[in-house]
Amino acid sequence: MITVFGFEGCPYCVKTKRYLESRGVEYNYRDIELSAEAAAECQRISGDLTVPVTTVDGVNFVLGFDKRAIDELIASA
Amino acid sequence: MNVYDFIVKTGSGEDKSLADYRGKVLLIVNLATKCGFTPQLKELQELYDTYKNRGFEILGFPSDQFANQSPGTHDEIMQFCKLNYGVTFPVFAKGDVRDETAQPLYKYLTEQTKFAGFDMSHPVAQPLVDVLNEEFPDYLKGDGIKWNFTKFLIDREGNIVARFEPTTLPSAIAKEIEKLL
Repeated sequence: MITVFGFEGCPYCVKTKRYLESRGVEYNYRDIELSAEAAAECQRISGDLTVPVTTVDGVNFVLGFDKRAIDELIASA
Repeated sequence: MNVYDFIVKTGSGEDKSLADYRGKVLLIVNLATKCGFTPQLKELQELYDTYKNRGFEILGFPSDQFANQSPGTHDEIMQFCKLNYGVTFPVFAKGDVRDETAQPLYKYLTEQTKFAGFDMSHPVAQPLVDVLNEEFPDYLKGDGIKWNFTKFLIDREGNIVARFEPTTLPSAIAKEIEKLL
């Protein structure tokens, strides 16, 4: 399952979610502003509180709304 | 009249008089705290760290009047948002900084100063002008705030000394701050 980390008011997080939906990909969404746990997890994965972070395994991740990289991630899932 | 006559709202909604900053050199900046031109936050924080012990304060005013979310030019600037840039200077409540809905402090600041044009040698100056032309053409007219990270330098007596547009990096303002300290 793909997980997207983001926060409300981040346009690139919205775009990432819309893009996954357009590809028919299911995902979990975790808001790092509302959940300290999600923020800690995001920080652990990418080393930063920059979003969107898209990940499958919590190790490999895509930072930002990078369609090509997200496509590769989906293919590996 | 000077900036000490204004009362602003803190992030937690309380009133704060700018007279509380009497005797300090101030840099008043409208911010995008999460997306956009945000690398300037890092430089602002560096200025703050360098000069705060000599009587310098940065006052940040978040505004979403420049929340450009359209595809295209702006995407090339940055495709992600950051929750916390490690900023420790005061950031006040989100509010408007231009047009009729602008908070009184910003009406005053933009009535007292002129828009002197962008520094077109800044790498994002041209994309910024393109976005403004496309989506906010009215913003290019007059002396209102054009975009996030317009900076007003205030001396120890509360007088506006200079206005810097978003295309002037905080690090380029250091020598102007030093003159006032």
